Amino acid sequence: MPSATMNPTPSPPALAAEGRVATGPQVGRSLPRLEAREKVTGRAEYTHNLRLPGMLYGKVVRSTIAHGRIRSIDASAAKAVPGVYQVVAGEDVIKVIPHPYYGPAFHDQPILAIGKVHYVGEPIAVVLAEDPHVAETAATLVVAEYEELPAVYDELEAAQNRVLVHDELKPAGTFADLKHLKGVRGTNIALDYQLRKGDVEKAFAEAAHVFEHEFRTQKVLHLAFEPFVSIADYKGDRLTLYTASQGPSFVRIEIARLLGWPENRVRVKVPFLGGGYGGKLYIKLEALVTALSMIAKRPVKVSLPMEEVFYTITRHPMTFRIKSGVDEHGRITARRCEVFWNGGAYADIGPRVAQKSGFTASGPYDIENVSIDSYALYTNQPPAGALRGFGVPQLVWAYESHTDMMARALRIDPLEFRRRNITREGGRHATGTPLEDAAVEKVLEHVAARMNWSKPFDRGTGAVRRGRGLAIAIKAVISPTTSVAIVNVNADGSTTLYCGTVDMGQGSDTAMAQIVGEILNIPAESVNVVPRDTDVTPYDMGTLGSRSLFHMGHAVKRAAEEARDKIASLARELGLPKGSNYSVADLFQKKYGMQAGNIVGAGVYKPDYVPPQPGTGLTPNVTPFWMVSGVGAEVEVDTETGHVRVTRLLNVCDIGRPINPKICESQISGAATMQLGFTMFEKMHFDGGQVTNASLADYKIPGFHDLPAAFENETVEAYQSNGPFGGKGVGEVATFCVSPAIGNAIDDAVGVRLTELPLNPEAVLRALRAKENRPLEDA
Amino acid sequence: MTPFELAEPLTVADALRFLDPDDSTVRPLGGGTALMLMMKAGVFRPTRLVSLRRIASLSRITALPDGGLVIGALTPLSDVEHSTEVARRAGVIVRTMRRLSNVRVRNVATIGGCLAHGDPHMDLPPVLMALDASIAVAGRTGKRTLKVENLFAGYYETVLKRDEIITELHIPAQGGRRAAYLKCTTGSADDWPALGVAVSFEAEGSAISAPRVVVSAATEKATRLNGAEAVLSGATIDDALLARAGDAAADEAETISDVRGSAPYKRELLRVYVRRAVRQAFEAERPLSSPPPLAREGREGAQGGAH
Ligand SMILES: Cc1cc2nc3c(=O)[nH]c(=O)nc-3n(C[C@H](O)[C@H](O)[C@H](O)COP(=O)(O)OP(=O)(O)OC[C@H]3O[C@@H](n4cnc5c(N)ncnc54)[C@H](O)[C@@H]3O)c2cc1C
Repeated sequence: MPSATMNPTPSPPALAAEGRVATGPQVGRSLPRLEAREKVTGRAEYTHNLRLPGMLYGKVVRSTIAHGRIRSIDASAAKAVPGVYQVVAGEDVIKVIPHPYYGPAFHDQPILAIGKVHYVGEPIAVVLAEDPHVAETAATLVVAEYEELPAVYDELEAAQNRVLVHDELKPAGTFADLKHLKGVRGTNIALDYQLRKGDVEKAFAEAAHVFEHEFRTQKVLHLAFEPFVSIADYKGDRLTLYTASQGPSFVRIEIARLLGWPENRVRVKVPFLGGGYGGKLYIKLEALVTALSMIAKRPVKVSLPMEEVFYTITRHPMTFRIKSGVDEHGRITARRCEVFWNGGAYADIGPRVAQKSGFTASGPYDIENVSIDSYALYTNQPPAGALRGFGVPQLVWAYESHTDMMARALRIDPLEFRRRNITREGGRHATGTPLEDAAVEKVLEHVAARMNWSKPFDRGTGAVRRGRGLAIAIKAVISPTTSVAIVNVNADGSTTLYCGTVDMGQGSDTAMAQIVGEILNIPAESVNVVPRDTDVTPYDMGTLGSRSLFHMGHAVKRAAEEARDKIASLARELGLPKGSNYSVADLFQKKYGMQAGNIVGAGVYKPDYVPPQPGTGLTPNVTPFWMVSGVGAEVEVDTETGHVRVTRLLNVCDIGRPINPKICESQISGAATMQLGFTMFEKMHFDGGQVTNASLADYKIPGFHDLPAAFENETVEAYQSNGPFGGKGVGEVATFCVSPAIGNAIDDAVGVRLTELPLNPEAVLRALRAKENRPLEDA
Repeated sequence: MTPFELAEPLTVADALRFLDPDDSTVRPLGGGTALMLMMKAGVFRPTRLVSLRRIASLSRITALPDGGLVIGALTPLSDVEHSTEVARRAGVIVRTMRRLSNVRVRNVATIGGCLAHGDPHMDLPPVLMALDASIAVAGRTGKRTLKVENLFAGYYETVLKRDEIITELHIPAQGGRRAAYLKCTTGSADDWPALGVAVSFEAEGSAISAPRVVVSAATEKATRLNGAEAVLSGATIDDALLARAGDAAADEAETISDVRGSAPYKRELLRVYVRRAVRQAFEAERPLSSPPPLAREGREGAQGGAH
């Protein structure tokens, strides 16, 4: 039976490794997304479209106060609404899940508030009904009474521990550096990370110049176009979750833990995601719908309107106090960093942000003496978690603004000042880990060349002044983490990939298919990437922190290699001479006498890692790879209104070797655009813990008119030697430097320095007026 | 959002019958772009919406022989934006449209909805006030006409009764009047304005007469600025005059703080934007034989990027 008639795509040659190439190289192709057609024709599967027979809709009732004890929840009026199935509160949840607290770092977040509420918007009850409109109407009739407690919103105030968000800390036990916090009382500090290298105080005393600045960032959020949505279908001894999650394996493990079940009784299915950006990690609605389905004994769906997304998860606001000592040659000799992360009411992954990003707080600079303290803090705000960069964009905003401020004060060109201080290839990062395959110097020089930095610059006339700025940064990938993949070659030679990386729009399915195609010498388009389903797809730590292409890429490559090797040994077993042109289908036919069988390859990847020494944070291997990026920005500032127009934004990244250059470019431009919004105007406004602009009508993200006229997204020639095909992650890298490059350009244009984001027109005008000694009245 | 009744009458008379003077949960529906936001936010829970979309007579643009325009209240904003008659007779409206929200909203939102909503952040009302436009209003007891300038009673409040419908907008012939609208956003480019300034006046050489200066978005409702108008009226345009007009505007307007900016900041913006709007109107629509342009300053325009 000739396999070509069975299979529309060309059958892969059996012994690709032996040099008979039927298809071109797959890695390095700018292959359009495999799912693009499905998406634009509206056929792609999303959790929002899914309905199960007998399904109930849940509408969440939320706390209206920031901190207080719940006196009573009166649901009688809601229950009286025709069509209401049930109203569920925290005490009902306890009956089915006795310890209903979840979280990746701390088991601090209740499924529904129990006893106390800790932020405005915290879920206190859910109305269930067959008709979502009925649930919505009834939810407005639930009345809660509280005994209000003082609240703390600011991270610096929280660090004083005068108002306490939680009575007692409850670390999850999974992270070694959190164990000492178990049962601790009287504090809001959910992690105090430290790095100590050299003697900072001594170096400050000996320095020719010492600079100290404080920077802040505002609260912003992910705003994926698909809001949170989860469905649970509880069937007594089995549970199926359909959810928009970036981490199906974590969801399975955590839900199994809450239920006291083995993992294999919980099934988590994740179709495509309409964006994630770190928001859809860990547990969001999954534990809630699980409890609701257990209580109602029917499938339950909760899908949030965009307005409620503002009360679910956000990015960390931060205060960063940075102090540097510089010698007479313009070399930084010492740096002390104190970073305070405003984690909101529940820790989520905040303590990891404090540590895993905290250790890069001193930047891509070669500094002899470094001291870093990074604190994760509880406050009475909506929780903060991972958001495209895991804290690094906030840190870079501070340290790269600080770099320019020092250069200006010392009258050294900002580029030259960086040249004197960056860590070069093979040098050591503050942790003691060598910077290998980290193109810090190359990226900096690329930015300088493309910006024509040494050439004169038009500074504008009249009310409009022009300026330019640059910035550079590094990030480590969260480590150590594990990915597993399975490649299944079917009897006709067609190939299926099982991997838990969630394609949320970043194009991972396409890149993983390219890796399989490269190894098996088949077109990437012919690879079927199975939708995420924990009953089928193996473990993956999560689609986060730019880790997937590297970790899962390795696992997929290994799985494909194992399959390839098994094909080769089957050929040998069948006694086929080397170089014979049997197809894979022919091998199966020959082996089983019919179109039958599979060849399964599995791959696991976990990088080497040496845990940091407690107290000093030092380690020779903190990360398997570094992400590096630089930005050059040109701006026009209207000195009468404070409006800043970014006329040019140049993003330069080291992403190793791009597996799919086109997808990489859109990751870079997308990340930079997102960061442009966070830099220029995005801000969650609060009044007594309440978000006053919690809708897309009042919280604006960049549109096409906000893009810089010149928007250049480039990569430097690079190769990650331990990466799959020289590749590494690209999802976050272009977020790092946008804010400080623009802040530096504003200073260059009009001589004012903003230390807090966003750089909105009012902030700029206020700074200009203050400088002219005619300050604007306070608001 | 809870279910409600949707009425789709074919005539104005039928539409009026569906409305109820005593029931705040019954409302006319134009494009629905504003209503849907309110319904999603839960601030408006209708029992009945009376859609005006099937009343064919309400979505026409008519050019009057005297140079004026009549625009049906159900005309979508994008029809107005692309009308050559509107471009010729009141070009400032077309220029305003380009940055009024986005094309998706403009395709659906209607002239009547823009006015009846009473939202001070709308871009068109100040422009229409500067053009001295009026509206025709139909009620059960008959019709009345109303200057747009007298339509707004306060923050999201108009003088319309619950059972009244705006049927038409009338823009008088502008003759040689010059006009400009400047939208100032402090968020994204397609955000609602933090400040809107509309001006129109006659100019004889460098002499200005019959000025109308309107502020919106930064104030409780779109408001004419009589002080600024008085400064401009009969005066000769130069940099000092513009500065004085801006100062007068800043002194007289009661700006309010919100997520788009503080009151003091908006006052400063107003000072600058009144100056720029008058200058832009004067220059942009300058007849060929007029005096040379004034010194150039900050760059922006009705559709340019003051963002
Ligand atoms: C995302 C978004 C962004 C926007 N940005 C801007 C912006 O930047 N600038 C701007 O100016 N606008 C903006 N808008 C607002 C838009 O212009 C208004 O929503 C629109 O003008 C309302 O028109 P509509 O026909 O949709 O009104 P509807 O929503 O149908 O109605 C609004 C109100 O008017 C009443 N009404 C409607 N028609 C009549 C009538 N003929 N007679 C009596 N009462 C009537 C209704 O009962 C309701 O109270 C934006 C809207 C959206 C959704």
